[in-house]
Amino acid sequence: MAGVRAAAGVGADAAIARQNDELAPGARTGRGRLAAGRRRQVAGWLFLAPAILYLLFAFALPIAYNVMLSFEQSSPETIASFTAPFAGLANYRFILTDPTTQSAIIHTFEFTAGSLIGQFIIGFALALLFSLRFPGRTIGRSLIIVPWLVPLLVTGVIFKFLFQLEGGAVNQILLDIGLAQHPIDWLETPQLGLLTILIANIWLGVPFFFLLLYSGLQDIPIEVKEAAVMDGAGPWQRLRLVVVPIILPVIEVTVLLGFVFTVKVFDLVVALTDGGPANATQLITTWSYNLSFQQFIFGEGAALNNVLLVLALICAPVYLWLSRDSLRRSTGAGR
Amino acid sequence: MTHLQRSRALRLLCTLGAVASLVVVLFPVYAVVVASFETTLTLLGNTYYFVPHGATLANYQVVLQAQAGHLLTSLIVGVGTAVLALVVAVPAGYALAKYPLRATVVLVSALLVAQIVPSIVIATSLFKVFHWIHLLNSYPGLILADGTYAIPFAILVLRAFFFSLPNEVMQAARVDGATEWQTFSRIVVPLGRSAVITVMVFAFLNGWGDFIFALTVLNGTTVEPITLAIYTYLGNFSQDWGAVMASVVFAIVPAAVMLVVAQRYIASGLTAGSVVG
Repeated sequence: MAGVRAAAGVGADAAIARQNDELAPGARTGRGRLAAGRRRQVAGWLFLAPAILYLLFAFALPIAYNVMLSFEQSSPETIASFTAPFAGLANYRFILTDPTTQSAIIHTFEFTAGSLIGQFIIGFALALLFSLRFPGRTIGRSLIIVPWLVPLLVTGVIFKFLFQLEGGAVNQILLDIGLAQHPIDWLETPQLGLLTILIANIWLGVPFFFLLLYSGLQDIPIEVKEAAVMDGAGPWQRLRLVVVPIILPVIEVTVLLGFVFTVKVFDLVVALTDGGPANATQLITTWSYNLSFQQFIFGEGAALNNVLLVLALICAPVYLWLSRDSLRRSTGAGR
Repeated sequence: MTHLQRSRALRLLCTLGAVASLVVVLFPVYAVVVASFETTLTLLGNTYYFVPHGATLANYQVVLQAQAGHLLTSLIVGVGTAVLALVVAVPAGYALAKYPLRATVVLVSALLVAQIVPSIVIATSLFKVFHWIHLLNSYPGLILADGTYAIPFAILVLRAFFFSLPNEVMQAARVDGATEWQTFSRIVVPLGRSAVITVMVFAFLNGWGDFIFALTVLNGTTVEPITLAIYTYLGNFSQDWGAVMASVVFAIVPAAVMLVVAQRYIASGLTAGSVVG
């Protein structure tokens, strides 16, 4: 896989780079080689310049400013000004004591855990199914990624339509097959509201899990599968003892990225329930938006943003560790 | 049962399973298309019809009048985001793959971490910053913000691709006397076509589908993309599902076109960005 190729590439790249220096015009003299090397350094930095400027403007600045905001005492009057009076830890005290904020944090955990479990089970089952040979698998495989291509806000709107109280498709199905005696008010019942956004999010996330796990399954050498069959392993044993251990790295990356995507979810909830009923479906993201852009208390919103940022960044070290092959490759290449 | 019969039965079972799961996966999209042709009266009734129940084009007439401008706005934002992503990401991906710079590890780590940062964190700050530098309610402001979805991913995908370019290709160009820029623009970029297209497709879809930045750095008067327009429309006319669903059809169209035209780029981009990234 990528890691193996990367490790093999390092030595070859280094050899080619040496050769490259020798071949460059003017490389025969030491000074010429130095000048060529320096020119390449400058060129490399110039190629990187737009990206560095963009990262500073669109990531470093907002994160730093968000930290600053979280220590400011903001109000509707301070929206237009860049700074506001210093508030000390007041905004964080608010985050720790406000009941709606507390429930938003709990909902975020429930929503994230539920989504990951649902997306993984369904995505993995579909990946296994489509790894088998049967007529129509190619077209089926490409149709499964459709939900992933629908804009997130639009997904929310679609599910709002499907889960309507009267004339909604979901209630119609439940009534038709006799699972419900009267229409269920999905979007206006607190616990069901959270379940509805969970179902919608699982629907839109399954394609991502499917694609990654499917491509992981394709990388398992055919000999390994055949050997397992020869040894008389049943389907369940093959899955547990052969398939899962081999694609474990892919599973790790997929679940990690799934976590990152899920704690960020915003559009879907805004369209589907807008945090209601009675804040029962507020997540950290939607409640932060509510604090900053609807109650105009940016300081409190920024403090909650930082809680979210820390929560999301918990997985940063794991992500970097899982990407270590790709990182290491960069230090080795061309030296 | 003979062996042949059994494997044939198994294959049939697989196909049935695949069809059943596709029905569930695709039903929401099917329901949208059906509803976009229904009359308001049908949609307001107590019964849901799984097959079209009296077709009308009235919804599309309403939508074309009300939303054509918003669709154009989304198109501009999507194209703008794709262009921004290319300008920033293609040279950076190349430099991070092929130039031995000390900062490479730091920058690649920063890009990996940048993918994790939630958009609401960026949106809250950018609203204030944009207010300060007068970029609220403008295309450049929204496109700069939408770039946050696409750019870290784009750089990592392109970097992974440029690794696979043999160094000999660039050496040959240098021996022929090409400058670093010429090597990049005439040799490297054309060879990286498929990765560049992948990145473009993703950046376009990100710009087209964005809602959170449209909601925060625009106030919906001068610049209003289709996502924000649908949200606003649903808030004002919550019973007019026919028109909403016709707008949704338009909002999904670019994705559907991409699926058909750029299918292999989408699949390869998704996996490359996550496994190699």
